[in-house]
Amino acid sequence: MLSTECELLSNQLVAPDHYVMQILAPEIARASLPGQFVHLRIPRTMDPLLRRPLSVMLADKVHGHLRLLVRAAGRGTEIIVALPSGASVDLLGPLGSPFPMPDEIDGGSDKDVLLVAGGVGVAPLVCLADAMRSLDDTPYIRSMFGASTEDMLVCWTELAARSDEFSVATEDGSAGEEGLITEVLAGQLERGHARVVYGCGPAAMMAEVARMSAEAGVPCYCSFEQRMGCGVGACLSCAIGAAGGGYLRVCKDGPVFNAEQVDWEAIRDE
Amino acid sequence: MSEACPDLSVRIGSLVLPNPVMTASGTFGYGLEYADICDLSRLGAVVIKAATVAPRVGNRPPRIVETAAGMLNAIGLQNPGADAIIAEKLPELAGFGVPIIANLAGECVDDYVLLADKFAACGHVAALELNISCPNVEGGMAFGVCPEMTAELVGSVRAITDLPLITKLSPNVTDITEIAVAAVTAGSDALSMINTLLGMSIDVRRRRPLLGNATGGLSGPAIRPVAVRCVWQVYDVVDVPIIGSGGIMCVEDALEFIMAGASAVAIGTANFVNPLAGTEILDGLVDYCQSNGIKDISEIVGVAHG
Ligand SMILES: Cc1cc2nc3c(=O)[nH]c(=O)nc-3n(C[C@H](O)[C@H](O)[C@H](O)COP(=O)(O)OP(=O)(O)OC[C@H]3O[C@@H](n4cnc5c(N)ncnc54)[C@H](O)[C@@H]3O)c2cc1C
Ligand SMILES: Cc1cc2nc3c(=O)[nH]c(=O)nc-3n(C[C@H](O)[C@H](O)[C@H](O)COP(=O)(O)O)c2cc1C
Ligand code: FES
Repeated sequence: MLSTECELLSNQLVAPDHYVMQILAPEIARASLPGQFVHLRIPRTMDPLLRRPLSVMLADKVHGHLRLLVRAAGRGTEIIVALPSGASVDLLGPLGSPFPMPDEIDGGSDKDVLLVAGGVGVAPLVCLADAMRSLDDTPYIRSMFGASTEDMLVCWTELAARSDEFSVATEDGSAGEEGLITEVLAGQLERGHARVVYGCGPAAMMAEVARMSAEAGVPCYCSFEQRMGCGVGACLSCAIGAAGGGYLRVCKDGPVFNAEQVDWEAIRDE
Repeated sequence: MSEACPDLSVRIGSLVLPNPVMTASGTFGYGLEYADICDLSRLGAVVIKAATVAPRVGNRPPRIVETAAGMLNAIGLQNPGADAIIAEKLPELAGFGVPIIANLAGECVDDYVLLADKFAACGHVAALELNISCPNVEGGMAFGVCPEMTAELVGSVRAITDLPLITKLSPNVTDITEIAVAAVTAGSDALSMINTLLGMSIDVRRRRPLLGNATGGLSGPAIRPVAVRCVWQVYDVVDVPIIGSGGIMCVEDALEFIMAGASAVAIGTANFVNPLAGTEILDGLVDYCQSNGIKDISEIVGVAHG
């Protein structure tokens, strides 16, 4: 874990309200694992006060670059996406527990890996697919990406390029299947050839992904969001309900959790 | 020519801290979470997250909201209970060689006495901070808003331990000096102030409170003027050291508290913004003393009173 001031190399609008930010952060890039995040702030300002958690979409360990996909979702991210290239950003990271790699999961090594992305949830899954591509024993990767409209399939080429098969669903039918991405997942799970499902997206999507995976008897890992203070496990701000009662820290115990660890009811009610 | 190092040590009852910069309870966990990034051994003390007798799961999320120049929190005193903290956290933290101050939260006098007894017996803590000012649990502030209850509580703990006692005061009172005097008269060796200000924020889109607990404690730069005022008022009526906290982000902020009358400062919300805030503020204090010919930091404690 490191706290450093880094140079923003480029900041590009890739879809309405969505930006890809490339940052020079060699130590963090080298250390980061898929599913981990950085806690970002603009140096020397108290407004916004707190850092903003953002997943690493790609870590180029050779050049020391980090790529983040940022959606302008509120006041803080609006200020962040407006930064010009050459600006300084202060990063704390890499933080959190990464996705377990398929070989760490008991699910049948000849089977496929399924990735299910919703909106900006694509970011950590691109990172995961990228890491799986460089394994000695690269699994067969089937990726699915859902969004409201074609416009919102942000960075889909990044995921498609790292997948063996790639499908899309949009709610308005402007690209791929018309409907929810979980309908595409249902078809994939029916084939009975999945060893693990990885998901990241809106809570309602992940809840459905988790439910379907459990029904199919396939292990499922999802990456969660919660409001954060410290980002390092100290303040207990980022609690989400745990399956057995009590709470888990998204910043330290997560953001990636086995779907069986979390209390989906509580997450839906929040 | 390099200046001589100023004397930054602070005395709290029988305890001498190496310097006046400590971390504020609840914002620095058990120190260990920051050990990777911050040289814990340089801090004046680490004040750990509040300990209760039994484990507490804490409040339902969301537990924090950012507000203008501050944040609201309603963690709800989540902690694994005193026994687990003593067995699982303190030995490792003690290994860093930093003085440890335990922050205690109870529902009744007996809870505080039991907690004080447990932490005194464990041998790892240098002082006890009585949290009579938590706004985020039922009854958490009850002691801190009533001088008689404060006195009874402090007196009861005083009777069973020789460890230095710090009482942490709430700003959510009409007259903070009354509570301060009550705590000191009952035997408190020092006062810590301020805890968070009770606040609230509403999500106008959902038409509901933003925090799961509805209300929460406001911290950060937004509360600094209130905190400085509290220290200023209390400095006039007590003769024990004051540990100032409330929105301290940089060395100038720390100096404001010291000049208002604080002998030490506790860094809270700033840790979230900059995990090195504590050690950077310490460096800043050394620089300030050297460039102003101050040999002992106590020379400027309360200096703004004239
Ligand atoms: C582990 C993790 C990874 C994330 N990765 C990405 C990513 O790759 N790309 C991306 O665009 N977004 C990501 N997010 C969400 C992003 O952090 C929020 O959109 C952002 O914090 C909103 O800040 P704001 O000031 O624009 O919004 P506001 O609503 O004004 O924020 C107010 C406060 O609430 C917090 N907050 C609001 N929404 C969220 C949220 N969904 N999650 C966490 N905190 C929130 C803010 O940090 C801030 O403290 C991630 C969140 C987490 C927890
Ligand atoms: C997330 C959070 C948790 C806190 N938990 C505690 C606690 O357990 N016990 C306590 O006495 N104070 C607690 N506090 C109050 C701080 O110790 C401090 O007094 C207060 O936040 C004011 O300082 P600041 O503005 O620098 O944060 C907490 C504050 C925050 C922000
Ligand atoms: S954000 Fe502080 S514990 Fe997770």
